Amino acid sequence: MGRLFILLGLTFLFMHLHASGNISKYINMEYSYVSQIAIYILAIFTLMGSYLYFKEGNQEEGVDCQCGHDHSRENKKWKRNLTYFLYFIPILTGLFLPVATMDSNIVEKKGFHFPVYEDSDEYSQHQFLQPDTSLYYGKDDYLTLMDNSLKGLVDRDSLQLTDENYLNDLEAIYYSPGKFTGKQITLTGFSYNSDELAKNQVFLFRFGVIHCVADSGVFGMLIEFPEGMHPKNDEWYSVTGELESIYYQPFKKTIPLLKVSSHSKIAEPDDPYVYRQY
Amino acid sequence: MNVQALLQMNTIFISILIESLPFILLGVLISGIIQIFVSEEMIAKIIPKNPILSVLSAIGAGVFFLACECGIVPITRRLIAKGVPLSAAIAFMLSAPILNPIVLFSTYIAFGNSWSMVFYRGGIAFAVVLIIAFILSFQFKTNQLKQEHIEHIHHHKLTFNDKITGMFKHSIEEFFSVGKYLIIGALLAAAIQTFLKTSLLLEIGQGKLSGNAVMMALSYVMSLCSQADAFVASSFRSTFSPSSLVAFLVFGAMFDIKNTIMLLGTFKTKFVLCLMAYIFISVLGLTLLFIS
Repeated sequence: MGRLFILLGLTFLFMHLHASGNISKYINMEYSYVSQIAIYILAIFTLMGSYLYFKEGNQEEGVDCQCGHDHSRENKKWKRNLTYFLYFIPILTGLFLPVATMDSNIVEKKGFHFPVYEDSDEYSQHQFLQPDTSLYYGKDDYLTLMDNSLKGLVDRDSLQLTDENYLNDLEAIYYSPGKFTGKQITLTGFSYNSDELAKNQVFLFRFGVIHCVADSGVFGMLIEFPEGMHPKNDEWYSVTGELESIYYQPFKKTIPLLKVSSHSKIAEPDDPYVYRQY
Repeated sequence: MNVQALLQMNTIFISILIESLPFILLGVLISGIIQIFVSEEMIAKIIPKNPILSVLSAIGAGVFFLACECGIVPITRRLIAKGVPLSAAIAFMLSAPILNPIVLFSTYIAFGNSWSMVFYRGGIAFAVVLIIAFILSFQFKTNQLKQEHIEHIHHHKLTFNDKITGMFKHSIEEFFSVGKYLIIGALLAAAIQTFLKTSLLLEIGQGKLSGNAVMMALSYVMSLCSQADAFVASSFRSTFSPSSLVAFLVFGAMFDIKNTIMLLGTFKTKFVLCLMAYIFISVLGLTLLFIS
């Protein structure tokens, strides 16, 4: 009987996540069909489970069903109850606890880095620290791909990073920061302080999701606000400014820096994440 | 430890379940089908007698089998119970999450439409699987399942309806025997992401040996799905060498926190630990030897 409730609970959890739309706070919706398949299988399991339960009686005490399993699996009652309790954890916390947004706490634990490919500082003393990345750039592939996506961007004087183009445009900027120096860039994100920075300098980040929140990481840019301003962590800003570069000691690298000309503090967006699209 | 962090841990936990439960469900469904519709005699006929050929054909089957590293565990267990040799079954289990077309294609996309990482990932994975199968076939003579006693099912006299109900009965049974390990694994992985400073790992080193070891450790604790890990790996390409990223992509798809717990629930502890050590050493050795 306990098993039926678990199957029913899991089916309901998955259906509820889809019906309420909350599932988009957990996964990239491009893959939502995968969890839809789960609903069907769980529903069938629940139906078949109840059919078997009522037709053949309660077999959870361990009856030979010829399937090669050791049905004496959880002989002790407390042990079985403990296992059942385990299954109820996601059902209960998934249904009743609020969905949390990833923020600076996770950034601090997971760390962050910038994919700067072309060191814009020609006199960089740290070239020898760079790994040999030539393997990543095959003759026909990455360079032409990036050059193509760059073509559209470098001709413009200003770039607006939206939810849709956020990851792609950032990648282009980090791929070739020199080509974007002096351009106007507008982006949105939450603030993250680092000890190595001046008080008016913060990172503006957004979590980028590949498949699910568990594989997300932050993508963003170093921002310099006007003197005297000192944002705390996890405040959302929309900023516009001019792209420059700065040497960032922890990474031993020159990274892009956006000198803010106008900014506004905003509420956390309805969808705080950006998603990887194929 | 504050409330917000606990809620974040729960959110990560649920998201891992949403992502992996569908594959576990498909896995137990296939396991049920194998149990009822595939007999030991059929397996004995299909699997080549020659051990090398049996491993190669198992890898071949893995290539066309779309599964992840947790969904494949119940299927592997069922195959072993049906008489597939341990080395061939493990070869299948290790190759399916890496060598399948979807994973290789996502690697291609993640590294900016580049084939070189795809070839390295696939090539190293293939070599690792061969080495592991070779060692296992000499070291372990028994099936290494926790429950060694296997009952033989007799196929005569069962109607089709009986078979279908039997299949579901078995699948549900299997679901409850592996599901709990998935939940424990997902809880553990979520706790590590929320409370441990994994970024400290990255500070250990990016050198030749240390970089590879660090990336392998990272892929283990991050417990990424093998279809998503290439995107995470590609974000490290400005700081880590290709060799260490291939180590990340191969080791993480074969072993991580989630599936270690599932394997420990299925196989004997000594076997799981040996398997993990062999995979670690061969991935480390091969990536250091062959990739810059």
